[in-house]
Amino acid sequence: MLRRAESLMLLFVSITTLGICFIVLPIIALFLLLDPNILAKIYLKDPIFYVQTRKAFLITLEASSISTILLITLGIPIAYLLARSNFVGKSIVEGIIDIPLMLPHTVAGIMILCAYSGRGLLGDLLKALNITTEDNFWGIVITMMFVSFPLMVDTIKIGFESVNPTLELVARSLGASAFKAFTTISLPLARQSILAGAILAWARALSEIGAILVVAYFPKTINVLTLEWLNTYGLKYAIALSIPLVLLALLLFIVFRLMVSRK
Amino acid sequence: MILIKDLVVKLGDFSLIIDYLEINDGEYFVVLGPSGVGKTVFLHTLMGFLKPLKGKIEVNGIDITYWPPEKRNFALIPQDFSLFPHMNVLGNIAYGLKIKGLSKDYIDRVVHEIASILEIEHILNRNVDSLSGGEKQRVALARALVVRPHVLLLDEPFANLDPRLRAKSRRFIKRIHERLRFTAIHVTHNIIDAILMADRVGYMKEGQFVIISHPKDFIKTEYARPYLDEILPLSEYLRGADYSN
Repeated sequence: MLRRAESLMLLFVSITTLGICFIVLPIIALFLLLDPNILAKIYLKDPIFYVQTRKAFLITLEASSISTILLITLGIPIAYLLARSNFVGKSIVEGIIDIPLMLPHTVAGIMILCAYSGRGLLGDLLKALNITTEDNFWGIVITMMFVSFPLMVDTIKIGFESVNPTLELVARSLGASAFKAFTTISLPLARQSILAGAILAWARALSEIGAILVVAYFPKTINVLTLEWLNTYGLKYAIALSIPLVLLALLLFIVFRLMVSRK
Repeated sequence: MILIKDLVVKLGDFSLIIDYLEINDGEYFVVLGPSGVGKTVFLHTLMGFLKPLKGKIEVNGIDITYWPPEKRNFALIPQDFSLFPHMNVLGNIAYGLKIKGLSKDYIDRVVHEIASILEIEHILNRNVDSLSGGEKQRVALARALVVRPHVLLLDEPFANLDPRLRAKSRRFIKRIHERLRFTAIHVTHNIIDAILMADRVGYMKEGQFVIISHPKDFIKTEYARPYLDEILPLSEYLRGADYSN
């Protein structure tokens, strides 16, 4: 019996090792194929390249950070409501929130165009407010928000669900208003989930390309620029652009894992 | 004094109906009954977490029926004590005073006073996760009493304690009540709590108080019978057994 259990574990360990290799191999390959001269050229030496690179990184970081901040503001009340109350149609609302997870990215982009572009459903209203989404920075932000929305809400919701609701009842009985009980009890107790949600949503926003290509090719995000250089200059240039993104993704997920394990 | 008149609370198919109930200042009132008879609904209605369909709740002549929980000054001690895990013992006890915006000096003085009465001064800086069941109960009691509530509501406060600690806690809370004379409403399904602690016992059945009486009178009623049937054989056994050692 023991030998069979050991064999099973050995089989599982082998499969796990294969799975890990499947993920790690492309990362190693990326670094092995990296040309240091091209790296220096596109980040430091050649202004034709580094102006574009720096601008694309800046736009990507700005748009993903703004989208994450806006999503935290939206996500906390939505997640709290879903975690704390039962209402008719709650599962439908939860399903709607998860729609962006299941959509092909180009379809998500087309949907955003249909709703929020100048020709879209809210086109006239947005024009009146002087907001443009097509080939515009705010188009990138809206697209990033759309694709990251479920990750943010679902992660924060798990955090609020893990806070014992009686704690808030006790706080109310001690003189705290509903808002005060929320800000002094539930919010600090869910802070790790809020941070985890923010990291996941930010990482998701950083990695988006399909929907952004449809909504706002310009100003170019780093992903759009990488794709463009892959087609124009070849793999070596695309690799040099990809390296910082891989390092950032690794860093984000290490922080995320550390936070989850600290819970 | 708390006065409840013609109160009706609906929760799905369940109804809580209280025609008339008076609880005097300083009284220790125990609500007894099996699970599912509406004891927690009663507590949550008093707290303001549930809105009655009709009727009224008065405190010293003031109608508080539709007041929000934070305005009522009814402090709650739940079954699991629900200490705030992100605060230490001091932070837990001081919470209600900080919410009221009282000065740091005052908070410090009052927290140490109540901690001294409840014999928990030595654990004020401890993390709540490291406390024993008995210590948690005392901290929950201190946190509730420090805001000087009109009424202290205790929801099965001994349910999570082992039997030895339960007896000790009963004696302790009784002693603190005798000293501070706060008004207490204690919900339990344990007749020993009711007999040993209550000034009066209210027995609940299907959402209504079917009898309210002194514990000595209550044990003579048909409602006490099922509880006593469980205890009496043990007391008869103990009477015949030599357990002096």
